[in-house]
Amino acid sequence: MPTDAIATPAADPVPAAHAVRPHRVRNFLDRHIAPVSFVILLILLEIFIRYARIPEYILPAPSKIIWALYAGFATPLHSYNGFYVHLAATGISAGSSFVGGALLGIAMGALVVRSAFAMRLFYPYIISLQSVPKVALAPLFTVWFGLGFESKVILGILLTFFPVLVNTAAGLAGVDRDRLELMASMKATPWQTFRLVQLPSALPFVFAGLELAAISAILGAVVGEFVGGEAGMGVLILNRNASLDIPGSMAALVVLAIIGIAVQKLIAYIRRRALFWSPGSKGAEGL
Amino acid sequence: MSTSTIVGSPAPEATARTAIRVRDLDKTYSSHREGAVNALTAINFEAREGEFICVVGPSGCGKSTLLKIIAGIVSATAGELTINGAAPTDAATRIGLVFQAPVLLPWRTVLENTLLPADVYGLDRKASEKRALDLLKMAGLDGFAHSYPSELSGGMQQRCSITRALLPDPALLLMDEPFGALDAMTRDTMNLELQRIWLESHKTVFLITHSIPEAVFLADRVLVMSPRPGRILDEVKINLSRPRDLDVTLTPEFAAAVKRIRRHLGLGERERPYAD
Repeated sequence: MPTDAIATPAADPVPAAHAVRPHRVRNFLDRHIAPVSFVILLILLEIFIRYARIPEYILPAPSKIIWALYAGFATPLHSYNGFYVHLAATGISAGSSFVGGALLGIAMGALVVRSAFAMRLFYPYIISLQSVPKVALAPLFTVWFGLGFESKVILGILLTFFPVLVNTAAGLAGVDRDRLELMASMKATPWQTFRLVQLPSALPFVFAGLELAAISAILGAVVGEFVGGEAGMGVLILNRNASLDIPGSMAALVVLAIIGIAVQKLIAYIRRRALFWSPGSKGAEGL
Repeated sequence: MSTSTIVGSPAPEATARTAIRVRDLDKTYSSHREGAVNALTAINFEAREGEFICVVGPSGCGKSTLLKIIAGIVSATAGELTINGAAPTDAATRIGLVFQAPVLLPWRTVLENTLLPADVYGLDRKASEKRALDLLKMAGLDGFAHSYPSELSGGMQQRCSITRALLPDPALLLMDEPFGALDAMTRDTMNLELQRIWLESHKTVFLITHSIPEAVFLADRVLVMSPRPGRILDEVKINLSRPRDLDVTLTPEFAAAVKRIRRHLGLGERERPYAD
């Protein structure tokens, strides 16, 4: 660090030894201010909630939530009281909707850009579907597709495919004309042009859509479980709320939040690896 | 010499065939603002195999459109065009295209960019890779084969786009203001490089430029085009010996050719004393 270099001149080691320590503390705080402030906030909340005697079923103290988190993970794998069964159910629903919605979105985006006819045929439906609050369709889906996996995945796909479609279409439509003329001059087939030039050129946009889709996929799974289901984090939260186990319910929320952050970080990591060539790929890091 | 692998077909002057034949070519397109626009009219010329043709003309005279018609990207409204006796859209006709921008794919290395035509034409991978490495060496890019375009200077990127164009051993190399975006000094270097590459590869080159001295320096023959609708006003044969160095630009023959072309473009010394 340049500040250290100034604080520790080689010729004068004794006062330097004193000077180093406050700098280290300050540097540490500077870099890790977010987690440090979070821990302080938790401690203040803990003190306030205990002191004000706020009932647990209204606002549980952080220590209670942490304990519920521990309890949720310290159960056998198959226990419906623990997180594992529910995490697996939500994970499978969300993961399937993400993959399904992404594939559908990329395919539809490519189709809509490729054919003006497909654009005129599908776009009005897509736009009107987008203006419906799609989570409101969840009760209908449980009637049509039952309380199992299918109703959640269909809701999830409905939520995820739109951002991928719009971004893919924008990316494909914005491909540099010269690149397309280059392919045309080599008499490339439409598939070659798509595979070698259009799709890679559109990838920065596709990834922006995928990041939005990942969050929507989890949302779709949890909402689907709220409306009706046998397992899943949504089911767990509902059950715990019903039995006034608010610390347990909040612990489940914390788990969902951590998963959401982890999924976003994972996609950002994949994007950085896949789009090392794109100038914008480093810009949104950490957001 | 590695040149033997780069040479497609040696083109001795005596047996030179016709590479491009254009007869009564017309191009009219419809524009929203102006209605039917006559971009090119009665274009007639021929290029011998291995000949270096430069085209100069004012902005908007349709010279880029002519290049795109020859490339088979745009179709002509009327007239006849053959490349080595075949239609430009013929699947077997291979054309190397170089733009003003390098148009390299940023996710591919220099070698992979050079190999793009091999992917499109489905050429043998191993032979293509060997040829690509030979071409990169010829263009002074050996050592950068595994770099990405963003790590290269503008001139090096443009040289890479030339190696890409040459990879499939094209019948024709079409260049649309290839050095227009480069600074004057790099441009001089690139002109010398292009001449060397052309002398080694014996390709027929059709090059569009805004710069009259560049056209005279590079060409065997300069086609001078009129403002829209584009016609060919004059064909100026440049009889300077090869290889040419930059000193050739100081010779009276060079000056005479430049002067003759300028006059066609309304840039005679009387009308616009300080024009380029």
